[in-house]
Formats: sequence, C-alpha cells, structure tokens
Amino acid sequence: MAVASFQINRLLTPPRLALAAIGAAFPTAVLLAATKARGGALDTDLGAILLYFLVPEAVCMLGLLVTICPVVADELERGTWVHIAVRPGGRRALLLGTWLAAVLWTGVVALVGLLLAVLAGVIENGLILLGPFSVLVCLSCIGRAALFSLPAVIIPKRALVASVGVALVVEYLAGLIPAVVNQLTVSLRLRTLLVRFMDWRRNMPIQLQLLVDDRPPWAQVAAVLILAVVFLTIAVAILEWRQFPPSEES
Amino acid sequence: MISLSHVTKLYGSVIGVNDVTVDLGAGAYGLLGPNGAGKTTFLGLVTGQLRPSIGVVRVFGERPFCNARVLRRIGYCPASDLTERSATPREWVRYLVQLSGFTPAAARRLAEETLEQVGLGEAAGRPLSTLSKGMRQRAKLAGAMAHDPDLLVLDEPFDGLDPVARHELVTLVRTWARSRSLLVASHLLHEVEALQAGLAVILGGRLVASGSVHEINQLIDTLPSEVRVVSTAPRRLAELACRCPEAEAVRFVGADAFIVDTRAPRLLADRVVEAANAEGILIRELVPGDRSLEGIFGRLVQVHRGVAP
Repeated sequence: MAVASFQINRLLTPPRLALAAIGAAFPTAVLLAATKARGGALDTDLGAILLYFLVPEAVCMLGLLVTICPVVADELERGTWVHIAVRPGGRRALLLGTWLAAVLWTGVVALVGLLLAVLAGVIENGLILLGPFSVLVCLSCIGRAALFSLPAVIIPKRALVASVGVALVVEYLAGLIPAVVNQLTVSLRLRTLLVRFMDWRRNMPIQLQLLVDDRPPWAQVAAVLILAVVFLTIAVAILEWRQFPPSEES
Repeated sequence: MISLSHVTKLYGSVIGVNDVTVDLGAGAYGLLGPNGAGKTTFLGLVTGQLRPSIGVVRVFGERPFCNARVLRRIGYCPASDLTERSATPREWVRYLVQLSGFTPAAARRLAEETLEQVGLGEAAGRPLSTLSKGMRQRAKLAGAMAHDPDLLVLDEPFDGLDPVARHELVTLVRTWARSRSLLVASHLLHEVEALQAGLAVILGGRLVASGSVHEINQLIDTLPSEVRVVSTAPRRLAELACRCPEAEAVRFVGADAFIVDTRAPRLLADRVVEAANAEGILIRELVPGDRSLEGIFGRLVQVHRGVAP
C-alpha cells in the first residue's frame, strides 16, 4: 500500500492529469463523431461494440502502458532503485504496489470515460451498459497490468515497446486463434463476457462463435484473476532474481 | 559480520571485484579506493543487490542477496544522487521505512526523528528537487538510518558537502557507529581517517590491504619510495643524505636536484632538513615520496603482487 500511494502521488502531476483527462474524454469524443456521421444516436449493439473497443481496450491499454511499463526503468532512472532493492521485500512491494497504482489510476480514468460516454446520451439505452462495462474495465486493468509487468521486469529499458508487442501478439493475435493459446489471453475473457452481457451468442455466425469461450461468466472472471496472479508471480520471481550493475543506474 | 570468500563479480567480460577474501567483524570500516576500483560493486555484494559470480558472500552469517532477514539489518546510502523530484524528505524517508516493514505510524515517527538527527528537520517538508545536493545527501543518509539497522553501509556519503556539513555528518556517523557497525566507501583517505575506522583498500577490483589506519600507514612507510630534493648545494647535501641509514641509493637529476631511494621517506626527509640546517644549505624543494592516494595505491598493489616486501 505504501508503494501504491507513493506511485499515485507521483502520477498527480499536471501533465499526467492532463493525459488522464484526455483519456477520459476520448471515448465520448469518438462516439459523438460517430453519432454525427450517422445523423442520430447509436443503437445499443453498435454503441456497445464501439464502447468496448474504446474503453476496456484502448483507454485501459494505453493507461496501463504508461503506468506499469516504467515500474523498474523509472526507478533506475531516478536513482531510487537501489534504495528499494536493499529493503526486505522491497522489490516485491515495488512491483505489486505499482501494479495496484496502475490498476487504480487507469481504472478510474476508464470508468470516468465510460460514465461520460454513457451520460452523453449518444447510445440508445446507454445506461444499461454501465454495469457490465464497469466489470470489463476492472478485469481489463487487473489482467493486463499484470501481463505488462512481465516485459517491464524482463527488459525494463524497452518495456514500453515490448509491451506494445505483447499487446499485439498475445492479446490480439493469439487471442483470436481458436486454440489452447487463446485461453491464456485476457482479450478472450473480455470478449466472451461482452457477448454474454449483450446476449449476442445465439445470433452469431458459427465462425465468430469460435472466438468466444463457452464457459459461464464466473469462469471468465476467475480466469482473468488467475492469469493476473500467475503473471504477477512470474514477474515478482524475475524481479527478485534480477541484478542491475551500478552502471545501469543513473 | 561481513565475510567474503574468494569472491569475484563479473559484468560480462568486465571484472567488478576480483578474488576478494576478507573478514570484517563488528565495528567501523572504511573501504578505500580510487574511482572505478570496485567499491560500489563490493557494497552491492554486501547489501544483497548483486550475486557473486564466483565465491560466497555472507553478512551476519547468511547470504545477503534478496535475503529479507539480512536486509532488515542493513541500511544503505548509495553514492548516486537522489533524483526523486516531487517527494519531500519526510515522504521519502517514511516511504523507505515502510518498505522496511514498519507500520505507517512507526514510519512517521522514525522519519521525523531521523530527519531531525541529520539536520533536515526544517527542510523536511520541501520537495527534494528544491534542496541543495548536501541536503539531498542528508535525506539519503536519513533514509539509510531511519529503520535503525545493525550495519550502516555508506557509499561516498560526504560527496558534494561543504566542510561544515561534512564535519557535522562525520560526527553524526561516528557517534552512530559507536554502538553499531559501519562500512564507508570513499576515495578520500582523510574522510575514512576522520571516522576512526579500520581500512580495507581496494584497487582494480582487488583487495590490496586491510587493517587499522596506523597499520596501513606503517605498511605504506615500508614500501620503496623516493625523496626528491632541490637545493643550492645538491652534491654536498647528497653526500650528507648518503650518511643516513635510511638512504638506499642516490641519483642526480639535473644540476640542482637529486633523488634518494628509501623505505622511510618521512624520517629521511627530516634528517636531510636537519643536515641542511647544520651546514647552512638552502633547500628549495623537498618532496618526501609520492604521498598521493594513487601513489599509495600503486605501492600497495606492488606489495599485493609480491613486487615489494
């Protein structure tokens, strides 16, 4: 908790707050543009699809990339890594605390973005999306922050680039392969929950049904939580084992 | 307390420390060496940031790397400047104490007490970015001391401090070390001397000497050295110098200077001055051997390699 609150304090700077405001306003701006292009409010299904790509995918992904990726690189750059590495459990606390801070920060930004988008009245019956999408936002933040913590500890100085690669290859490419590999992705779980919440499965073509999971919603939630625990455990183990020569510290 | 047994640390093909074996009991020690000698790597091994490539490091009888039991008993103040910008010393020290396993309330109390102790009580609420380097150095020191460790490890702790601040912090650290153990890395002999600590001298990743300051000084004095003399009557003065039992060889350099080889440069210099006074010879320059740190290190390396006795 000490690390989480310290990291959140670090995020409370004017540039970061401005970035968060842009992130929160972005979905509404895109939906307003889509409404204008269509000449009226978006129907619930189309609105849900757009909202899904804008909030739990785009806003959460971008928010997490900028908050969790520099978890080690930032400390090395600030010369604070060594202070933390010599504390008992300092490395573990740093990773888990930063993960929590990233989830809270990005989660709040995404939920505000979701609320603004729903309250803007550009989606018909938009308010019914608020509850299910809040769950998607929370799961997206929890799972993906844990996923991005892996490149952050393996290659700290290239973590952002590596995380974008992980997002594209693991989440979007492997997540769309109807095989065992997509079971290990957060995107499969989120997609499945979206389909369940919107009750789209019955009307889906058989080819598209392959892209979602058959198990019930609670299993999808449990899967994301288990994936998060596994990713974080691996990341902590790697970080505990890592050494940074004095020359790598600024 | 600290035991290194044939420890080598490699960074790829670069050697950080090379086959170091040393046992340091409880007490205060200075780790002396020029920049790039391997001091920070040595401290990295002791404070559990680095694993040895070869050999075994033990602190309080256990391997320190990621060992919470050992790390709880160590306080470390690194040489690198603290570039944490937005936090205040109060927030920073409290944060570090919490990371050492203390509750927020205990961390708050310990942070306040330690900041007061290092003389940062009034500036504790100002952002670190607005503080001078000396003040940031004090904040780092407070972070290392606040959780009351049994062993305080300081890497160049007095760098960038003005003489007054340096004196204050030396006094503080010396007082602190009366009841607990201390390991200070420095490239300045007088800093370590001021702490009244034992010495370990490191050069090129090798531990070349260890002992008390007095023992090291004695060792230095037994090394082959030179005394260079420039005078108005060099031949006469050289003749007098040759009569000193400490003189081993004399050679002339130019028209007005000569060099005496000796193992007791200070004593020989005193004798040459006495002889010159008695004969009324003017000495323009008298340099009793190379007393620079590099010179001393160089000669200790010779001893270590067996070139000199």
